[in-house]
Amino acid sequence: MQYALKRILLGLPTLLAMFTAIFVIIRVVPGDAAAVILGDQASSAALDALRLELGLDRPLSQQYLGFLGGLLHGDLGTSLVTKRPVLEEALRVLPNTLELAAASILVGLALGLPLGIYAAIHRNAWPDYVGRLFSLIGLSLPAFVSGILLLLAFAIQLRWFPVIGTSANAGPWDRFLGVALPALNLGIIMSAYVARVTRSSMLATLGEDFVRTARAKGIGPTAVALRHVLANSLLPIITVVGLYFGTLIGNAVLTEIVFNRPGLGRLILGALNTRDYTLLQGLMIIFASFVVLANVFTDLAYAAVDPRIRNA
Amino acid sequence: MNKTTMAVLAGLLAAPALATLPAAAETLQVAVGTSDITNLDPHRANGFDSMLLSNVFDGLVRFPPGSADPAKLEPDLAERWETAADGKSWTFHLRKGVKFQGGFGEVSADDVVFSLKRAADPKTSSFAGNFAVIADVVKVDEMTVRIELKYPDAGLLGLLSNFNGGRIVSKKAAEQMGAGFSAKPIGTGPFAIAEHVPQQYVRLTANKDSFRGAPKIDEVFWRFVLSDSSRDLAFQSGQIDMIYGRREQRWVTQVKARPDAVVDIFGLGEFRTLHINRSIKPLDDIRVRQAIAAAIDVDQIVRFVGPDVARKGCSVVPPGYRGEDCSWTVKTDVNRAKALLKEAGHPDGITLTVVVSNISSQLPIMEVIQNQLGKAGIKLDMKVVDHPTYQQQIRQNASALVFYGAARFPVADSYLTEFYHSAATVGKPTAITNFSHCAIADAEIEQARKETDAARQMAAWKVAQEKINSDVCAVPLFELQQVWARSRKVDYGYELKGAINIAPQITEKTTVTR
Repeated sequence: MQYALKRILLGLPTLLAMFTAIFVIIRVVPGDAAAVILGDQASSAALDALRLELGLDRPLSQQYLGFLGGLLHGDLGTSLVTKRPVLEEALRVLPNTLELAAASILVGLALGLPLGIYAAIHRNAWPDYVGRLFSLIGLSLPAFVSGILLLLAFAIQLRWFPVIGTSANAGPWDRFLGVALPALNLGIIMSAYVARVTRSSMLATLGEDFVRTARAKGIGPTAVALRHVLANSLLPIITVVGLYFGTLIGNAVLTEIVFNRPGLGRLILGALNTRDYTLLQGLMIIFASFVVLANVFTDLAYAAVDPRIRNA
Repeated sequence: MNKTTMAVLAGLLAAPALATLPAAAETLQVAVGTSDITNLDPHRANGFDSMLLSNVFDGLVRFPPGSADPAKLEPDLAERWETAADGKSWTFHLRKGVKFQGGFGEVSADDVVFSLKRAADPKTSSFAGNFAVIADVVKVDEMTVRIELKYPDAGLLGLLSNFNGGRIVSKKAAEQMGAGFSAKPIGTGPFAIAEHVPQQYVRLTANKDSFRGAPKIDEVFWRFVLSDSSRDLAFQSGQIDMIYGRREQRWVTQVKARPDAVVDIFGLGEFRTLHINRSIKPLDDIRVRQAIAAAIDVDQIVRFVGPDVARKGCSVVPPGYRGEDCSWTVKTDVNRAKALLKEAGHPDGITLTVVVSNISSQLPIMEVIQNQLGKAGIKLDMKVVDHPTYQQQIRQNASALVFYGAARFPVADSYLTEFYHSAATVGKPTAITNFSHCAIADAEIEQARKETDAARQMAAWKVAQEKINSDVCAVPLFELQQVWARSRKVDYGYELKGAINIAPQITEKTTVTR
C-alpha cells in the first residue's frame, strides 16, 4: 500500500513538469488560429479583433496561470475553433481510442507472447529464426505502410472488412469489423517488441539454477517453460507493455488516419493544423496523463508480480 | 472440412455484406479530404465546410448547377429585380412559398435583411469585407427588399449568389439557436443537415419541401477521410460513390482507366501566382523582377503538374474570370534574365530567402521554380515549413517570393482588389493578400469597381492588368483545377463544367442507381 502511494505521489510532479512543457511548446509553434477561423480573405483588422476575443493577445504568464487554474478545477478550456469545451471534444472520441488501444494490446500479447516463448524454447532452430524475422519486420514497418497493406489484402482483395469505419450507431459485429484491422495493425508492431523481449528474458532465466532443479525433479518441458521460466521472466515483458503505451499512442494517430477511425489521434492532428492551442494542449495533457498513468500501473504491476519489489 | 470450420468460413464470407455502410437505395456516400468540419456557419465556412453548405443554402440569385460563369447568374430566392437609374439602389422581389428546412417557416424580407446584414458584419461574417459596398438593406414589404449601395457596383449580383456571404439563412432559426446555429444551420437548399458525428460524417437529409422539388436522393453521407490512399481504396471498394480526388496527373490517368469510374475536372480552380515582394531588396529594382519573370518557364511547370489538371494563366487575373486580359505575354529567356541582372548590378546573381509550404501542391512546384531561377543565377534559399506557419510568415513579410493559390469570385475585381490594391498590402490594418506590395493600379481597380458601363469597366480592368504585368508585381503561373471522381452510378442531373463552391453540387435532380 505504501509502495503504491509512493508511486502515485511520484507521478504528480512528473505531470506538473509535463503540463508546463506542453504549455510552452505549444506557444512556440508558429501559426495563427485566428487566420484559420476567418480564412485568407479576412483583413488584418478582423484578425486582430478575433485574436483579442480569443485571448491570444494576453501575456503568456497570464495565459499560463489561467491554464493551471483551469486544470485545478478540471477545466481544460474551450476550443478556439469550435468553441466547445475541450473535455467534451475529447470525451466524444475517447472511447474509440481506448477501444483501439485495448484491442491492440490484446492482439500484441496474443501474438507476441507465444511467439517469444516458442522461440526461446527452440533457440537457434527454424521457429526461432522465423520468430526473429517476424519481429524485425514488425519493428521496421511504419504503421501507415502496414495499414495500407492490410487494407489492400483484407478490404480490397478479400473484402472481409470495410475500408473505412461504419456509422456511429454500428452494432457489435460492425464495431468488431471496424476495430479488427486497425488493432491488428498496431498489435503486429507491438507483438514484435513483446516477442523479442519474451525470448531474451526467457533465455536469461532458462540458465538459472531453479530451472535446472525443476527439470531434475522430472517436470515436463512445457510446465517448466510456463510455470517456472515465464513467471520469472515477466518483469521485462511488463516494462515493454507499459513503455509501449506511449509508442502505441503515436502509432494510433497514423492508424486512425489510414483506417479513418475517429479518435484522439485525429483530433490532435486537426488541432495542430488549425492551430487550436487550447484543444491541442488539452489533448496533449490527456495523452500525457495516460502515459504517466500507464507508468504508475507498470510500477504497481511489478510489485504484484515480484514480492521483493513490494517489500523493498 | 468439419462443421465448425465451415461455419467460420461462412461467417467470414458473409462479413463483406454485413460490413457495408448503412445504405438505403437512395443514399449517396461522399468522401472529402479533411479530418472534420471546422465551422458550418454559412457566413464563416470555408474550404470543405463551404462545399458541404452549397447543398444546404440558396441565395437571391444562383449560378446554375454545373456553372461558375457570372454571366449565367439566374433568379433563385428572388424572382426578379430592378436597378435604379443611378445604379445605387436595387429592389428584389422574393419568390413566394419557399420554405426553410426544419419547419422554420417561409422565406420573407425579414430573413433576407437579417442574412445580408449578418454577412456584412465583421463580428458574424468572414466575408464582411466584400459587403463594404452595401450602405443599407431595407424591407419594403413582406416579399420585397431594397439594397442601397454606397456606389454603383456592377458585380452586386455575384455577392448575392449562392456562395459565401450570399447565403440566405432563417432569421428565426439563427436567433432561436444562438451559438448552436453554426453546428446545424437552416437554409432552403435541397438538403438539410441532420447529424454530425465527429471525425466521421455529416448526414444530410432530403428537404422534401424544397421549392425546386423533392430531391431524388434521400440521404447524403458527407464523410471525412483525410488520407488520400484510404479515400482511394474506399472508392475502389465501392463503399464511397464520390470522392475529392488528387490534383495530380498520375492519379487522374489511373482513375480514368477504371471502367466503373468517372473523373470530373472543372473550375473554379485555384490560380497559382508567384508574387514578387518589392519591399525586400533587390526586388525593388524592376530589372530584377523582370529577370525573375524571364527566367520562369510556365509551360514547363504546366507539363510538370499535368496538362489535365493545370491550365496556363496569361494574366494576373485567373483564366475564365470576367475581365481577364490575355493581350500580355512574357517569353522565357534565360539569357535576357542574366543580362537584366547584370544591368541591375548583380553580375554574379542574387540569393533570395523564400518561405515555402510543405504541402504537395506547393513544394514540388517551388523546387521546379528554384531550378529554373537557378539557371539565371537567382538562387532561392527555401525555408520549408508546415502550411499554417507558411500562412503566418508570408503575412509577416518574411518571404521574398510568395507562391500562392486561391479561388475567388470569378470577376477581375476580386483578384485585383485582394492581391494588387495597395490597401490589401500585408502589414496594413486593411491587409488581405497583397504580398508583392504592388500599388501601381489602385485608380483603375477602383474605377472599374464602380463603373456601371460594361465596356468601360472592361477597359479599366485591361489597363489595371497592363500596369500590374508591366510593373512585374507577380508572375502568373497556372490554374490548378478541381478534381473529383465518381462512380458511373452517380448522375449529377446536370452537365458539370464549373462549380462556384469548388465541389460538384448535389441537387434535387442528382441520382444514384444501385
